[in-house]
Amino acid sequence: MVQSKRQAYMFLAFCLVPTFLLFSVFTLYPLFNGLYYSFFEWSGSSSLGEFAGLDNYRRLFSDEIIPMTILHDYFLVITKVIGIMILATFFAVALTQMKIKEAPFYRIVFFFPNIMSVVVIGILWTFIYNPSLGLVNSGLEFIGLESWTKPWLGDEDWALPSLVLPSVWAGIGLFMLMLMGGISNISKSYYEAAEIDGATEWQQFWKVTLPLIWPQIKISILYIIITTLNGSFIIVQVMTRGGPNNSTHVMGSYLYEQAFVKFNFGYGATIGVMILILSLITVIIMQFLMRREKVEY
Amino acid sequence: MKQAGGFFSRSFVRIPLILWSLAVLYPIFWMILGAFKSNAEIYANPWGLPESFSFSNFFDAWSNYNIDISVFNSLIVTALGALLTLAMAIPTSYALERIRFRGNRLLFTLYISAMMIPMVLGWIPLFFLLMQLNLLDNIFGLAIVYAVSQLPFSIFVLTSFMATIPKSLEEAAAIDGMSPYGILWKIITPLSTTGIITVTIMNMIQFWNEYFMALIFLQTEQNYTLALAIDFISNETQYTNAWGTLFASLVVAIIPVIILYAIFQRRIVKGMTEGAIKG
Repeated sequence: MVQSKRQAYMFLAFCLVPTFLLFSVFTLYPLFNGLYYSFFEWSGSSSLGEFAGLDNYRRLFSDEIIPMTILHDYFLVITKVIGIMILATFFAVALTQMKIKEAPFYRIVFFFPNIMSVVVIGILWTFIYNPSLGLVNSGLEFIGLESWTKPWLGDEDWALPSLVLPSVWAGIGLFMLMLMGGISNISKSYYEAAEIDGATEWQQFWKVTLPLIWPQIKISILYIIITTLNGSFIIVQVMTRGGPNNSTHVMGSYLYEQAFVKFNFGYGATIGVMILILSLITVIIMQFLMRREKVEY
Repeated sequence: MKQAGGFFSRSFVRIPLILWSLAVLYPIFWMILGAFKSNAEIYANPWGLPESFSFSNFFDAWSNYNIDISVFNSLIVTALGALLTLAMAIPTSYALERIRFRGNRLLFTLYISAMMIPMVLGWIPLFFLLMQLNLLDNIFGLAIVYAVSQLPFSIFVLTSFMATIPKSLEEAAAIDGMSPYGILWKIITPLSTTGIITVTIMNMIQFWNEYFMALIFLQTEQNYTLALAIDFISNETQYTNAWGTLFASLVVAIIPVIILYAIFQRRIVKGMTEGAIKG
């Protein structure tokens, strides 16, 4: 290169510095400042409130709603992981192994909810669950199960489970495609060899397909965990706002309520720290649990 | 052993596939049909076909609920956010991919790991930061926040794309006396068009759909993006029961996404699966 060192540094700075400044101001600084806020008692008046030491954290541990929100978040994580992974794996295997002519149609349709706005999904499903007009209750009446109809999102016991279906509905396509990518990389010869050895299709699935797409399964599960812990509050906010009677509050929606509705910004930040720590711990534990020797045949 | 996928097992597998397609398509079609029904019809026959197509719900949403302003706001935020993301991501991706400097790996890891950090914690300080900068309740402020939030994903996709461009082209241009700025602008950027389009479509869909940051950072109705306006109408619907208007505004929100998906289906799928695999 015929450029001086100075010019090279100028160019490097041109490429990196403006972007990094904006990233620092709008991402890094707020994150670290959030940690800092969690030690203050602050209702949002002009100057930062009083230093409160660990008061917010004490309050966190004695707040009766907090354990509920954690429980609700992990309920959503577990049900979503199970629901999405079973259906996505089934669909991925069906669309790659079964030689179905119209497979591209299913692929296009199943993926579409992934790019719909959560607001649209949430409102659509609120209507599906609508007690008098909704599809769920009319369907139940149609097949003669009137006694099962209920105001799904208004029922303290059923509101949270009712949020699982829209999340699965909206999430399946992406994970199905990730698994399909894994399956299509498996060489046909493994299946031929398995067939010669007399393995049934079911055995082929457990002994060939599943071990070989384990990396994709692992990434999918981790991705569902991360997006649920960091984003389940969006669908909660749209569909139930945490109600009825806090029965659907998750950590993020409780943070929103504390900080931006009740203006307890310091306490809100403390909940944010809890979300950060819990999601990091969960991801590390899951990564450890799902560690498995890389399979090669 | 029969070949995998004999006639019977294939028909058997089709049942869940068809059922799930119906579960996906039926609510969406029904929402679109509902936008053309009168309220009386929605009550009388919520899940059937409309008797006659009427656009009155769209007029109602457009003029009485001021959807027009929020559509305009959403368009600005989406376009501005996408441009700003590119302006930030292209030079940085190039430097991270092609220039050797101390801290290169560290900076890359920093950007990428930001994809996995829950941003909720940052939103409280961000709220006050925007307030101090006079960017709170301001669609330009929101566009900046959006652009920075998609920066890690954009850098991730663009660096992996730029890695596939042969180095010889840059070297030849440098020998001909082209400045590094010229190389970035006249060689790398045009050659990265495919990657840039993928990233931009993903970001635009993201910004068009985004709800929660808009909820926190925008306050007055005239600054609402479409997602907020719809949420607002949805809350009103509890009292007004104007379901038709609500569906019409949902349709307005979903049509641009359907069009983009129809044109760029492959790119969108590729962009999203790659974005997820980074973890």
